[in-house]
Amino acid sequence: MSGFLKNVNQEKVVFLLFIVIFILFSVLLPGFLNANNLVLLMQGVSVLGILGAGMCVVVIGRGIDLSMVATMAISVAWALQLNGEGMSLPLALAIGVGVALFVGLANGLLIAYAEIPPLFATLATSACVYGFGRFFLIHTDLVYVTPGVGMLVELGQGRVLSIPMPVIVFAAIAAIVGAILHFTKFGRFTYAVGDNYGTARVTGISVRHVLVGQYVLTSLVAFVAGLTQAMAISSMNTRISDTLLIYDVILVVVLGGVGLSGGRGGIRNVVVGTLLIGTFLNGMTIMDVQYTMQNAIKAAILLAAIMIDTIINPRDEQTSQHGDI
Amino acid sequence: MTALLELKNVTKLYRGFAAISDVSITLQAGRVHAILGENGAGKSTLTKMMAGAVSPTSGEILLDGKPVTFASPGEALRHGIAMVFQETSLVPSLTVAQNLFLGDEKVFNRLRGLYIAAQQFLQSLNFPVDPAANVSALGAAQRQMVEIARAVRKNARVIIFDEPTATLTPEEKHHFFELIERLKARDVAIVFISHALEEALTISDTITVLRDGQHVITDATSAFDRDKIIRSMVGRTLSDQLYNRDAMRPTRPYGRKTLSVQNLSMGRLVRNTSFSVYAGQVTGVFGLIGSGRTESFKVVSGVAKRNFFHGGIVRLFGKAVYYRIPRPAVRAGIAYVTEDRKVEGIFETMSIAESIHIGALAADKGGSWIVSRRKMRELAARWSKALSIRAIDSNARVLELSGGNQQKVVIAKALVQDPRIVIFDEPTRGVDVGAIAEIHEIINGLADQGLAVVVISSYLPEVLNLSDRILVARQGRIVEEFAMDEASEEKIMYAAVH
Repeated sequence: MSGFLKNVNQEKVVFLLFIVIFILFSVLLPGFLNANNLVLLMQGVSVLGILGAGMCVVVIGRGIDLSMVATMAISVAWALQLNGEGMSLPLALAIGVGVALFVGLANGLLIAYAEIPPLFATLATSACVYGFGRFFLIHTDLVYVTPGVGMLVELGQGRVLSIPMPVIVFAAIAAIVGAILHFTKFGRFTYAVGDNYGTARVTGISVRHVLVGQYVLTSLVAFVAGLTQAMAISSMNTRISDTLLIYDVILVVVLGGVGLSGGRGGIRNVVVGTLLIGTFLNGMTIMDVQYTMQNAIKAAILLAAIMIDTIINPRDEQTSQHGDI
Repeated sequence: MTALLELKNVTKLYRGFAAISDVSITLQAGRVHAILGENGAGKSTLTKMMAGAVSPTSGEILLDGKPVTFASPGEALRHGIAMVFQETSLVPSLTVAQNLFLGDEKVFNRLRGLYIAAQQFLQSLNFPVDPAANVSALGAAQRQMVEIARAVRKNARVIIFDEPTATLTPEEKHHFFELIERLKARDVAIVFISHALEEALTISDTITVLRDGQHVITDATSAFDRDKIIRSMVGRTLSDQLYNRDAMRPTRPYGRKTLSVQNLSMGRLVRNTSFSVYAGQVTGVFGLIGSGRTESFKVVSGVAKRNFFHGGIVRLFGKAVYYRIPRPAVRAGIAYVTEDRKVEGIFETMSIAESIHIGALAADKGGSWIVSRRKMRELAARWSKALSIRAIDSNARVLELSGGNQQKVVIAKALVQDPRIVIFDEPTRGVDVGAIAEIHEIINGLADQGLAVVVISSYLPEVLNLSDRILVARQGRIVEEFAMDEASEEKIMYAAVH
């Protein structure tokens, strides 16, 4: 326990917060602590968690991808539409993956080679992807899942050992992203680039390739998230890219303690962040707190977590010079 | 003689490491106080405390006998304490006059009035600077004059100079010393940090020597001579080991020609320079700031890009190579150990082991695309031992190490890539005295192993001690080459400034 306290960081603060709130809700809220509700809790945030797992890759690389939600909406909606029009499922999915790949590549090239700050580059691609996709590719805002998808619908609605598939997909994606970050050369380079771009470059890392790789990986994860979501609710609403979902994704990532200054944190932080947000949303729904109020509370938690982190781990001269993004 | 500014028992801790510990110093009006010490002795930290750029962890600062605390350099300036930095703090895109009056503009600024006022003011100081010129167009000496003029205009009673003469030509130096005399006559207290001991002996009234963040001695300048200063600076006869070349050590013979550079050009910094580097010996490169010494070798190692047209030729083992980014250079065996650790040397969130491992991975020496933590630890253990990196264990964060150990990690990160030519840029900048000897030993060891080693340094004794041959850079090109038996401080300095 002393070791736990000695190295207090945001992840631990958030994890403690999660436990405290969890216990509080369990005691105070009737119907919170039962198996059904807990499954529901996890199911409710699993898509958010998947997106967070993707986002954390670019955030560790000192970037951000605001186009994730647009990518997931358009790539999945188009694939579903093509499938509904009679195209074979594998081909339709391949096209969906292709779209995600293309957006990731575009983001990566803009950021690594044209050297546009990630915030602006992905904000622009986000609008482009949604606009182009909606105008040229997809006929309606809402694309329904047709019976043509066959068994794939299990991805959203199936259960294994009474655990809903989306939760399992979240676990799998988290495991894969975690393994990539921790055990592959690409993952180590992602940390290196996020920590100090100049050092990474001089050390001989092909920094630009690493950056492009990050954004491609993030986009592919966005596609998986979109597919899971579409299968779970039997449709994909492209208007989702107009919502504040992307900020929830960032919330989950940052709340868990993946520093926006790059190089800090890992997949564990995303899982912890997702758990906390899931618990909160679930508890507040049981308490019948209004949606707008929920947003305000989420924002307050985020601010509190970042403030606690800043107090415990003061920013050094470097971050104050470069700024956080 | 009254005490103008007094620092009493000040201490500054950085992450538990004392950059300045328990130092007291008193500045008097109309006197020049030189602060001397080795790299990393704490001179800059101490003066930054006076100027409000760094706040002391403990101890107090007295101005006119009253305790004060400065929240920022601006506040110190309002109390009449100005600092002239090594890198000037002028706004390059504004004119001299605008810089002089920066922060004091009226709501409605009339540029003509500003220029006239600036002209009169500069003339009163006898500074030959055009007030309408853009600062970016000025040379180092003129920039410094503007900076000094600004300090005087703010009625600074204390002016701190950090290495003011490093970038100046002898003639400009002469002007600078005259200026110091004039400031003295105006009863300004002057603090002077320098590596050039002769200058300190010439112009100062009092000398304080710091070592490893601690106060060693303060006395009237007349009580010092060169030897006494050096003795107090290094504290032991270490100075002889560090910077006096072992007369017994033979010059290493020329090995194979590793690197040959012809007519290399990069913007205004590197102009048509040519030189060669040979295996099995240390090539020292000396030059003042702005001589292009760093930039030439940054181009060689791909960190900076040479000119697209007429950029020149770089040959590695006789083969022409052109690196636009460092990666191919690293793979070809060129390792560049940076002068600026913070910007391109260390990974601050990583441990020693992780940092060294990244070096191996980047050079494709770390195996396949899946990394092995076990191999990483072995690698770290081997290199920590080889370079005697001192830390609790290899999981310690690089950021928490001392400057010397950080530098060793940066060196290990480069050496693990199995380079054929290693370029050390200011290898002992910000490194504690004890580690300097060890780093020199590493450098000598590499040359003895048959590697081509380049040491770029702005500190002459270091170049003289390490090198087997010395290249001198001036204004963007290598202008002179010395063999060891013909090199002397005077000759090298003469080549560097003329």
